[in-house]
Amino acid sequence: MSTSLAISVQGLTKDFRVGLAGHKLRAVDNLNLEIPRGQVYGLLGPNGCGKSTTLKIILGLVAPTAGKISILGFPSATREARSRTGFLPEAPYFHKFLTGRELVNYYARLSGVEETKLKSAVDAALELTAMTEAGNRTIGTYSKGMLQRIGLAQAIVHEPELVILDEPTAGVDPVGAAAIGKMILEMRAQGRTIVLCSHLLGQVEQVCDRVAIMDKGRLVLEGRVDEVLARRDRQVISASHLTDAACAAAEAALIANGAKDIVITHPRRSLDELFRELVKGSRDA
Amino acid sequence: MPDSMKSSFRRVAWISRITFLEAIRQRFFAFLIVLSAALVISSVSFRFMDFGHGELKFVADFGFGGIFFFGSILALVMTAQMFFAEIENRTALTLLAKPVGRFEFLVGKFAGVWAVLGVFIFTLCTLLGLVLWGRHQELVQIAEASGRVPPDLSVGGIFAYTLLQWLRLGVIAAMVLAVSSVARSFLFAVVVGAMTVLAGQLQWIAQEALLRDKELGVLHQAFLWLITRLIPNLQQFNIGDALTLDVTSVQVGAIGAASLSGGVYIIVLMCIAGLAFRRREI
Repeated sequence: MSTSLAISVQGLTKDFRVGLAGHKLRAVDNLNLEIPRGQVYGLLGPNGCGKSTTLKIILGLVAPTAGKISILGFPSATREARSRTGFLPEAPYFHKFLTGRELVNYYARLSGVEETKLKSAVDAALELTAMTEAGNRTIGTYSKGMLQRIGLAQAIVHEPELVILDEPTAGVDPVGAAAIGKMILEMRAQGRTIVLCSHLLGQVEQVCDRVAIMDKGRLVLEGRVDEVLARRDRQVISASHLTDAACAAAEAALIANGAKDIVITHPRRSLDELFRELVKGSRDA
Repeated sequence: MPDSMKSSFRRVAWISRITFLEAIRQRFFAFLIVLSAALVISSVSFRFMDFGHGELKFVADFGFGGIFFFGSILALVMTAQMFFAEIENRTALTLLAKPVGRFEFLVGKFAGVWAVLGVFIFTLCTLLGLVLWGRHQELVQIAEASGRVPPDLSVGGIFAYTLLQWLRLGVIAAMVLAVSSVARSFLFAVVVGAMTVLAGQLQWIAQEALLRDKELGVLHQAFLWLITRLIPNLQQFNIGDALTLDVTSVQVGAIGAASLSGGVYIIVLMCIAGLAFRRREI
């Protein structure tokens, strides 16, 4: 089935019944989303805003109260949709007695990877997630970052067209988070669609093409990252080797031309960038 | 066989395999199998009591009782634990996000637990069989020396009993899985599961009342009829001593009827579990 959309959500509403009286709690309120194929799509919002519920409904793990969802043109929760989707839940937990390779092999079999392609599919997933060496160790010995990476490997082992990642960098140090960011970009380069749910806004900004922000179950903003972040009423001029005199002259020239609220300062790199620069070469393996 | 069915069987086989590997590693399983084995072996000590021909029956009852009791606990706890481990650890999320049907998931869980119960029951029944056979050999010699009639022991009967007990534990596992599929906590599943097992053990009372008391009112009769149909009679599987020591006392068709009833209950209970689990929010 051909469609330009990886996910289409129309009028999605989800109510939970709470307490003995069965009071209604609306987790998702008339949500409409259209996620194009081949992009990294960020789904953002504070805790309890309905992101995870939305993802679970998309995956068919929770039934919607109302609304229509399709994945790659197939109704969500169908075998056709799920065989084309990979999912990494938040803080994943796997059977500790299995090795990483056995786990990925297990999920590959559940995903219907053909016997003849099984080994190469497992190898490719382990390689992409930089888990080839650690793949022969039992999962009980893995660090949090490695658990996330092996979780990512199980999500992509059947080469899904759509990969849904719920907080893939939660509890992972900046080096591990950057590695996961790199893997996301590699998956996009392979033509996959990635839906990323994360609180690491810096990373979302770096890797996502589009973002949607949810609050109290509703969509409050949606668009291309560069469009939604751009402040059209301000400009930035960056220069090196600028003397104090040149600075003053530039400021005077700007004022003379009607510019207001001028700020001349040194640009800052992010703490994340500084950290990664300082611990360069350190690997979580 | 269609390809879709083959794929489905493969998925079920893999889920059951992982469930089996996880369950067999549980300390609880090791503890119960060691405790039950100790109980069966300790029954040898009864040789020092002069029970005459009744000795083997005492040893058999003691051993079968221990296997029955600990097997029931194992089936009850292990089934609920294997189900809730997937839900509470959220491995069910990754599993059910794959093209795995919910019924396949349940059948895989059931098959994995039932295989572990098979290891338990076959190990202990083999051990009990060896204990009984060893003592039987001695009692035969004693009986021959004293001119008495030697006691009977049927190895085939022990095997038949083992299969029946395995089936009984399968029925319990299916009952607990049906309860777990609607339960919100492990504790609730274990407590309600234990109640249903107890009800199954006492179901024969309703069955006898229905057959015996013809003067009961229509509503009373309908209630008893419903109970005898809804709750499996777990007592029908407890014919170990008869099968082992006096196989002629077992009614023709009793084993077949118990097996058929056990199989039907497992299928029906799994279907109920599947229906309840189908809409469950993970």
